[in-house]
Amino acid sequence: MILNHSLVASDAFEKHLVNRRRKMSWGMKAAGFTLMLTSMVDMFSMLVVFLLQTFSSSPEILILKGVELPNSITAAEVKEAPVLAISKDGNLYLDQKLVGMTKDVMTKPEELLKKLNGIKHNWAQSHTNPFSGEINLQADKEIESTTVSMVMAILTSSQFQSIQLAVMGR
Amino acid sequence: MRRKTGLGTKKELDLELNLTPFIDLLSTMVCFLLITAVWIEIGTVEVKQSNGTEAPAEKKESYDLDLVFKDPTALRLNLKKNGKQYKAIDVKSESSEGMLAQLNEAITTQVLKIKDKTVEIATATVTPRSSVNYGQLISTLDVLRKNQIVNIGVLTAKGQ
Repeated sequence: MILNHSLVASDAFEKHLVNRRRKMSWGMKAAGFTLMLTSMVDMFSMLVVFLLQTFSSSPEILILKGVELPNSITAAEVKEAPVLAISKDGNLYLDQKLVGMTKDVMTKPEELLKKLNGIKHNWAQSHTNPFSGEINLQADKEIESTTVSMVMAILTSSQFQSIQLAVMGR
Repeated sequence: MRRKTGLGTKKELDLELNLTPFIDLLSTMVCFLLITAVWIEIGTVEVKQSNGTEAPAEKKESYDLDLVFKDPTALRLNLKKNGKQYKAIDVKSESSEGMLAQLNEAITTQVLKIKDKTVEIATATVTPRSSVNYGQLISTLDVLRKNQIVNIGVLTAKGQ
């Protein structure tokens, strides 16, 4: 939209007024604007290309609130598996559901083992191939490493032998 | 009746691309990709607790490595050849970062090269201590994985 100031001046005085108005409006910006579609399409295309490049098709796992994962320089891709999480306050969660305090679970692991057996049972019902034994373990980087190793021992005793320790990739 | 060529309505040569559906498609794609984009990169460090099962059986000489933490700044490396103790290396530093750097050097120079021969470590085990936090354990596993030692197990050290 461009505002047109053209007026047909009937006499010399009117012409003079129109010219004066035009001269005064030279410094002013046009009230309308033209949308530059070409540059907008360019920008959109670049954005789409960038976002498609960063698009990840690998499965994502939810990080438990309050868990600060350790950093790793040799992180591999996340695999889809049940998630066992140990929070900083000592709670143990299996697939976002509270199992109990980690120290209690370590002394009496029956409940955790029962839930793990349930996962194995569900796997056997929905898969034809043998149980892979994969599980994702999330733990806060500040907790004792012996706590993690004890939980890992419980997992190993329940045939979860391929443990994926969740880390932050750099 | 034949129609004469060259007669009839002339079509305009300039083609005007309809940009509206194009912009619609691009905006939808941008929105979808922005919503589904993952900004935090989560990875995994694989630990195989079935110790020893992954080692190739046909290997004549297999070396295994045990890392035993003494405290956050010191650990002991036990290199085993065919199940027997071959070499023990103590790694100690003033800081945990320094210890990790020394561990990397010890693995590169003293473990992976024996008598100018490159050896392959079949399995490695790490025995943690309660004074060592989980973040440091992962950093230690990183050092092993960086040196192509991938069959790693974490042992339980109850009461340590």
